[in-house]
Amino acid sequence: MLDQILSVLLLGAVVSAIYALVAIGFTMIFGVGGVLNLAHGGLIMVGAYAYVVLTSPSILGGITIPPVAGFAGAVLITALASYLLYAGLVKYIEDNIIITFLSTVMVALLLTELIHHEFGASPQGAPAVLSGSLHLEGVGTRIGYMYLLGFVLSWITIGLLWYYVTQTDEGRSILATSMSERGAQLTGVDLTSVKSRTWLIAGAFAGIAGVILGTVEPTTPAMWLNPLANAFIIVVIGGIGSIKGSVVAAYLIGYLQQFTIEFVGQGYVGIPSLIVLVAVLLLLPEGLYGREFAHE
Amino acid sequence: MSSETGRSSEAVLDRLSTVTGPVNRALQPLANAYNRLLGGYFGEMNGLQFVLIVGTLVGLLTAPLWGNYALIQSMVAASIWAILAMGWDIQSGYTGYISFGHSVLSGGAAYTTAMLIHNVNPELPLLVTIPVSVLAALGIGLLIALPSLRLSGPYFSLITFVAVLIFYRMMNPFSEYTGGETGLSGLEKIFDVTAPAASYYLFLLPMLAVAAALLIVARSNIGLILVAIRENESAVEAAGINATKFKIWSFVLSSIPMGIGGVLLAHRFGNVDPATFIVVDNSIEMIAMAVVGGMSSILGPLGGAFLIILLEDVVLHALGLEAELRWAILWAIVLAILVFARDGLFRKLWHGLERLGGDRR
Repeated sequence: MLDQILSVLLLGAVVSAIYALVAIGFTMIFGVGGVLNLAHGGLIMVGAYAYVVLTSPSILGGITIPPVAGFAGAVLITALASYLLYAGLVKYIEDNIIITFLSTVMVALLLTELIHHEFGASPQGAPAVLSGSLHLEGVGTRIGYMYLLGFVLSWITIGLLWYYVTQTDEGRSILATSMSERGAQLTGVDLTSVKSRTWLIAGAFAGIAGVILGTVEPTTPAMWLNPLANAFIIVVIGGIGSIKGSVVAAYLIGYLQQFTIEFVGQGYVGIPSLIVLVAVLLLLPEGLYGREFAHE
Repeated sequence: MSSETGRSSEAVLDRLSTVTGPVNRALQPLANAYNRLLGGYFGEMNGLQFVLIVGTLVGLLTAPLWGNYALIQSMVAASIWAILAMGWDIQSGYTGYISFGHSVLSGGAAYTTAMLIHNVNPELPLLVTIPVSVLAALGIGLLIALPSLRLSGPYFSLITFVAVLIFYRMMNPFSEYTGGETGLSGLEKIFDVTAPAASYYLFLLPMLAVAAALLIVARSNIGLILVAIRENESAVEAAGINATKFKIWSFVLSSIPMGIGGVLLAHRFGNVDPATFIVVDNSIEMIAMAVVGGMSSILGPLGGAFLIILLEDVVLHALGLEAELRWAILWAIVLAILVFARDGLFRKLWHGLERLGGDRR
């Protein structure tokens, strides 16, 4: 019993950290531009596949890229893909919320089909950045080093983001835009630059999450839906647009899911978090830390 | 850029209308007869539009005479999807509350049919299972609508997306009744491969009936209020109209066609399973069809459904492309329509015909 609780505590912390990464990127884009980026899951997939391609030995004439460099490269590629999505598509249609989010759905599906065509439906093996696992004798559970790396990286990036958003002028302009677009504009904030930076950051977060998810779980063309669904639930519970809310809700959902797997059964995973979601919606429609969607 | 091309294409249309205007005037008496009889219910049209509608109708009804087996099969699928796309449109297209959860309504109806036959009595006649399944879709629709309509805009869309996940995940814990991942099979197949022509009408006629019923509703005061909710909900409230009540009505109106479409889909294949009936991709396909044809026009989604299914099943299939590439091309087309022709292809066609007909009055 104690073992199980300890294992839930450990695994929950690790899984939640990865959920938080996904949810923060999703919520930042919504907070700054009011854009619901349903292609965010697709970006996670781009990160995972970019990592697979970069680290596979057949690329670049037999030179094997070390996993760490592959990781960095994949994150960079995902950030650029995210920026391209903004600059090449969303920028021109963001005046209409409905058209924008329907377009991002189409982008996600298009990516899925193209990746399916290119790599097939079978899972791709991605080499771990850190192989091996930590065997905890006392708890009787095993945690892969990749999970631990994900946990550490998640907190480092969240810390850096917090520093950027609260301590630097550039970052504060992102925060200001998410509070009031008009107000930010009146104080001389360059909206295009703020949005570009937000999409780059969100893309990088998705890239990190993608590489980690791709190494601990199979990399398949269907891998984008579950993280995206979890990000939805987390973001709605935390309050759309709130970074703090996303982190808190990510841990709530992560622990709830681990608890369900450990004590109720694998088949029921996801159902309790959905019940929590419905309860939050009925009692606090704006989420834990959300604020009313500002009208233009 | 788009307004530039729009203006030049309008100029072309105006020049063309000097030629097509007389054609339109020649056809006008026919259209006028229709306008007097039915225009009040379905909307008035000019001669050219009348020919388009009647031509399409005749084409659909006589398809077994000129189409081959493969085409008839695709048109059966297109008829079912047209029902689903129109059902989605009366709720999401008209009110602007974009739902990703409609595959739950159609899937729920399909599952009700299958579960009645599997768990209650395998001898149940269609006359019992179909109404019960449609009612089940209605119940599920209200179940989704009541909590989710507390939210608006993107929040609403997210929640309906999550509703699909809830229903999908419920399939496993209750696999005793639902068949889990593999689903249930052994339903009566009403598409008879030995007599495709006769079975075709079992799908086409309900589709046309749904289209007519939804057109009448959409052109009534209810439809007007739903559009008003999309345009300015607080103005609707200020006019003393309870917007929430009408949003719930839109779900009711939408659930019934979704139920009919779901039942037809179940009987088309003879089995149900979560991966083809509930998944969110189904909802997205309905949305894509409605977007291609033109949201909030009923006939637009109908045309969009036929266009997408025939394009995927017949045209791109004939080119010998693999399934993934076919869908990639379709999604790219839908994306292009979203960006460059927001109002949809069939609405553009309809207004184009209006201009080509010249000044009516």
